[in-house]
Amino acid sequence: MDIASCSRQLMISDFSTTSIDALNLSGSDGLFLLVSRALDRLKPGDIVEISSDNPSVDHDLPAWSRFTAHRYLGKTSTNGRAVHRIEKGTAARILTDRDLDWNNHAKITDGRFDTRSWLVGRTALIREKALPSDGFAPRGAVVETGSPEFPFDVLERTQAWNESAADFYDQARTGYWDASHDIPWNQLVPLDAELERAICQLMTFLAENEYSALYVPAKWIARIHPHFAETILFLSTQVSDEARHIEVFVKRALANGGGLQFSSASTQASLKSLLDQEDFIAASFLLSVLGEGTFLDLLRYIERGAPDAVTREIARRTRIDETRHVHFALAHIRHALRTDLKLKDTLRRAITERASVLSGVKGLNPLVEESLVILAAGGLSPQNLPEAIRARGELYKTMHENRVRRLITIGFADREAEELSELHTPNFM
Amino acid sequence: MPNAINVGVVAYDPKVVTIWEGIKDYFTQNQLETDFVLFSNYDAQVEALLKGWIDIAWNTNLAYVKVYRKTGGKCGVLAMRDTDVGFTTTIVAGKASGIERIQDLKGKRFALGSRDSGQAAILPQYFLKQNGINPEKDLQLTRFDLDVGKHGDTGTSEVEVLKAVASGEAQAGAIGDQYWARALTENLPEASKVRAIWTSPGYCHCNFTIRTKEDEQRFARWTEILLAMDYNKPADRRIMDMEGLKRWIRPQMDGYRVLFEAVDDLRFFND
Repeated sequence: MDIASCSRQLMISDFSTTSIDALNLSGSDGLFLLVSRALDRLKPGDIVEISSDNPSVDHDLPAWSRFTAHRYLGKTSTNGRAVHRIEKGTAARILTDRDLDWNNHAKITDGRFDTRSWLVGRTALIREKALPSDGFAPRGAVVETGSPEFPFDVLERTQAWNESAADFYDQARTGYWDASHDIPWNQLVPLDAELERAICQLMTFLAENEYSALYVPAKWIARIHPHFAETILFLSTQVSDEARHIEVFVKRALANGGGLQFSSASTQASLKSLLDQEDFIAASFLLSVLGEGTFLDLLRYIERGAPDAVTREIARRTRIDETRHVHFALAHIRHALRTDLKLKDTLRRAITERASVLSGVKGLNPLVEESLVILAAGGLSPQNLPEAIRARGELYKTMHENRVRRLITIGFADREAEELSELHTPNFM
Repeated sequence: MPNAINVGVVAYDPKVVTIWEGIKDYFTQNQLETDFVLFSNYDAQVEALLKGWIDIAWNTNLAYVKVYRKTGGKCGVLAMRDTDVGFTTTIVAGKASGIERIQDLKGKRFALGSRDSGQAAILPQYFLKQNGINPEKDLQLTRFDLDVGKHGDTGTSEVEVLKAVASGEAQAGAIGDQYWARALTENLPEASKVRAIWTSPGYCHCNFTIRTKEDEQRFARWTEILLAMDYNKPADRRIMDMEGLKRWIRPQMDGYRVLFEAVDDLRFFND
């Protein structure tokens, strides 16, 4: 064998030929799909042979080949059938330097596919820093080079991801309830007017607080990179929980002959300062650990003191949701603290700065404070008031103790936890 | 830009500005100042090239033929798109028309695109004649003279030809193969009502024309930079997708011969 024919042999063997049968298909009914898929598996220079019984293909295939930058090599006839040949061109359909995932089997147990179990293949690779150009592509997908850069500004894994988020997300979905049907609305009974007014004031207060608890995670959903999908999914359940809470609190205020009551400037100022926070973990800390954490005690107090089954059930159900939010935030912060040694400083600063912004807010909306007493007293009967005032004092004390406990869980020293808890807004949230 | 190389471009669509801002940026990044000058029609662009108001004209094949004749064959060509080579005209016929071969067209209603469209009017008429069909005598012609002056660039007349054939208003018609491929890949409803029955020999379409071949050296660097555009680079790809190519190539002049013949045969230019 001479050198020329040897190198020709090599050239021939470098390129493969694949055959497909297009039966009677033409360009208008699926031919190109078959050919495209066959070409996708080939490299530039490889050849696909298409057997066809449709004479239109003589015209459709050359036009399409030019249109898609492949080379139409011509037609031969074999056993009375046309055989067209196309050489794959060099233009890539998708520009990328990443490999496709394939052959993944996520674990499904007893017919259940837990979200945590989707951590297989490339979906399990959590980057230390997400790529802005990965945009809305689900983690693990092959993203085309040249995709636009998205303006997400939380890109760090330490800020945005934790391994328990998937579990909290699953819990949120199984705990879903419906404010229209799952509250025993038909058990409402007429109440003493002062008591009803107090409940309506508390519902107004709760609803406005829950607006902040909806808007804060919603704001961060828009800013956290979708690469940290579990966090985004969980926060979206938080948003949806808060929507339901707003709904149910407003409904309670309107259900029994009362109405929405007062919203104070101090409450608004306190809640606005949560929305103004520009660090995700700090925002999550202030809202969920301190704010929603304090709310757990408030909701338990309302549940205990509620004179009617409706208010009681509302407080119980919302408290269960809020507990999940608190635990998610605690897990998230503990996870972040493992790698971010300066995080504790950030959190400390977040509390003190918020306290200084809110230095003009000297206390809780007095109408809310009074309502807490009226609720515990079952109305304005003078004989019940001293005990009710004591109960409210107990509530504040419990709130403080539980805040301290949570701050210690995160890793603050006892003394510091005490001080920081004292700095928390008197508005509870 | 006083020292820029000025390229004339016919604004057949608003996207032309986007494309050429991209190409201009591309040349700037490659340290060769290039600007573009918009024309509303090819006659004006050809005049501007001949008078030296622009350096290079991004011409259709028909505009190139005009420059060639006006310069007595002295003009030069720098480059073209990969898609400008092997361009063909597709004759499509209604599936219910009973037309299967080009010879079946005699006596039928036949749709043509704009009279100054190479692929949808001038060349198909010539090819039909070569195949023994005199369009004026043997066919009942329907002409869609739309956007005349833009040499079929807008594609509107080809859209009308395909619609006419699909609706039965015409039994067959002529369109460019690229519009046919697009109609098929985009699953246009019209495409399923017609079938391709004939494909013309290949010919060339657009090119970058200059006044005189002697200047080819002067624009050598411009041509090199253009040819280096890479479809597998995202920024280049965006421009190339809009302009409809995967690769810029050096001119292949054989593909214009048939248009010269067609233009002579049809006495298209009366000048």
